[in-house]
Amino acid sequence: MNVTQESVAAGLKHADYITNQRVETAVFLALALEKPLLIEGPAGAGKTEVAKVVAAMLPAELVRLQCYEGLDEARALYEWNYQKQLLRLQADEANGARWEDLSEHIFSHEYLLERPLLKAITSPRRVVLLIDEIDKADEEFEAFLLELLSDFQVSIPELGTLRAHERPVVVLTSNRARELSEALRRRCLHLFIDFPGIEQERKIIALKVPGLDERLAAEAARFVGAVRKLGLRKPPSIAETLDWCRALVRLGIAELDSESIRTALGVLLKHEDDRATVESKASALAARRP
Amino acid sequence: MTPFREQMVNFIAALRAAGIRISVSESIDALRAVAAAGFERAPMREAMAAALIKDEADRIVFDDAFARFFAAPAAGAARGTHPDHRGQLESAASGRGRPGEERGDVSKPRERPQPSRPGAKSAAREQDDHAENRRSDRSEAKTTVRGESKPESEAGSAQSPTAKNDGPEDSGIESGRAARIRVLERAPFAAYTDLEYAQARDTLAMLKRRFRVRLGRRLRIAKAGRIDFRRTIRAATQRGGVLADLRFRARRPRRIDLTILADISGSVRYAAELMLELIAGARDHFHRVRSFVYIDRLAEAEFESGHLVMTPALDLYARSDFGRVLSELWSRRAETLGRQTVVVILGDGRNNRRPARADLLREIARNCRAVVWLNPEEPARWGTGDSAIVQYAREVRAHLAARNLHELERGLLAIA
Repeated sequence: MNVTQESVAAGLKHADYITNQRVETAVFLALALEKPLLIEGPAGAGKTEVAKVVAAMLPAELVRLQCYEGLDEARALYEWNYQKQLLRLQADEANGARWEDLSEHIFSHEYLLERPLLKAITSPRRVVLLIDEIDKADEEFEAFLLELLSDFQVSIPELGTLRAHERPVVVLTSNRARELSEALRRRCLHLFIDFPGIEQERKIIALKVPGLDERLAAEAARFVGAVRKLGLRKPPSIAETLDWCRALVRLGIAELDSESIRTALGVLLKHEDDRATVESKASALAARRP
Repeated sequence: MTPFREQMVNFIAALRAAGIRISVSESIDALRAVAAAGFERAPMREAMAAALIKDEADRIVFDDAFARFFAAPAAGAARGTHPDHRGQLESAASGRGRPGEERGDVSKPRERPQPSRPGAKSAAREQDDHAENRRSDRSEAKTTVRGESKPESEAGSAQSPTAKNDGPEDSGIESGRAARIRVLERAPFAAYTDLEYAQARDTLAMLKRRFRVRLGRRLRIAKAGRIDFRRTIRAATQRGGVLADLRFRARRPRRIDLTILADISGSVRYAAELMLELIAGARDHFHRVRSFVYIDRLAEAEFESGHLVMTPALDLYARSDFGRVLSELWSRRAETLGRQTVVVILGDGRNNRRPARADLLREIARNCRAVVWLNPEEPARWGTGDSAIVQYAREVRAHLAARNLHELERGLLAIA
């Protein structure tokens, strides 16, 4: 498929993802150079969303691998279906089958349980492989990923090396709970997604919460932007901002003042001390209007 | 080589000189990325950044160097639009720095007016080199601080709609913060003034959280212990009695007692206080934590609402005597040393030529699980003058440099 920068920009727009030049270029390069894309940024800035949008744009199936501590090859790549193999062995025992035939048989694709990584490699059509929160996985797993990311192939001892028919589009996301290794970074293109600016956030709100009054949307964007600068424990994410705007619509709030801010603050902030900080400054934040 | 490629190679060399690690494959990626994205300024910059910059904190250095190497079309029109303009190339060639130069230097040429004559440029550069040679460690720290104040102003300008034409629309909140923390983490303790210390304290809340998480990971109990026979048999009954699925007994949780000795004499005071606070934040990962501070005697240290409280109070103007501190620990505080104990010592081992008593440290090391020594001094100065660190270092399991917050955190993770 021929991708151009314009087609990517148009595709992202079509998939309702409001973004900037930085994201467009990075996504375009990931597709054009067929390299994995490593996305970092604060929680809730839309990292995972990029992969979903790319899948919707191509269109391609999205294969998702959620990383967690203790994730191993058996759950990420493949596992032999032991139960089925045992059944086969016991069934063949009665028929008196020879061991050679048997061992050849039970280590074939039929007895392989595909996990996300193998699925992405063996799929006949191009897929988008999302490796989410790679920083949560252990360092050993990261090292294991290197072969996959540079050559798009995996080695299974019993079957040999499997190579991808169609190179998948790989998107990795990280919240920086741990420093990723240089080796991994080197193999990826890098994209940092920060919280959106006020103008961009206003556009996002206008698109996703159409019921909200335009002026109020601008005020909400400005307010959230100011709240993020307070250095809270957990600054509000875009999803929380949108929830909050929906709450404003449902509550029928027409004006952002310190009173109306207090009523729905729980949607925006999830820590008690953050809430206290913002409430104490609510009137000042609300009053900061042009 | 085509002029553009040459320009790219120089550009990458300049980034490397500024301390950004770029591999050969990454620079090839960058060229391919530009080939794919085209030569329009904004996409080209983002394409290069995606291929070359793998840490958002380095982005400021990149943007700055990019502005120097690839002039904006407006400025380029006045001097000829081709990227291979003499003045540009010249500044590119002289823009390379010596390895190990601080990042602040990269931002410097921007503050000077861009000279158009190569001769004037090289003269200015020469002067600059002289000035750099004369600079002490201290002023080097100043430049890093100056570099650090920049993201703030950039984040501010990104908010105003007029400044939007160049940079992408981003709030810059997180990227600015990441850059600030990174610079601060690498500022040496030796160059700390009260200002830097206050800044370090401000970001400490975040560092504390991160340290807690990282330490927790290190201490994670390995699941694979010995085989649990009963549970394995029970699992096997589901498989017709075949032992296909082995079950393991979880390993006994490791408990670590921590005993900390931190030197709070003038030279290493900041490092000591920051370390004590970092550890205080991760207290619940340990079975028991005992913190002591010392100069010439030992005092128990406690954190009360962010302030260091010691009992008994130490004479802050005394001369360091670690030998005496060791004997005090060995004879009177022996209850804090046991088989489960990890002893962490922070200090420069400068003993004012008093008896080192390294034999006591050996005894302590034999009785404890491990002794780790963190040294905030420059490695080149270890063992010089009145430093007894060489004698101590022989007795401990690990002797690590802890010149800045970054190294301090790494050293503390060695406990686990």
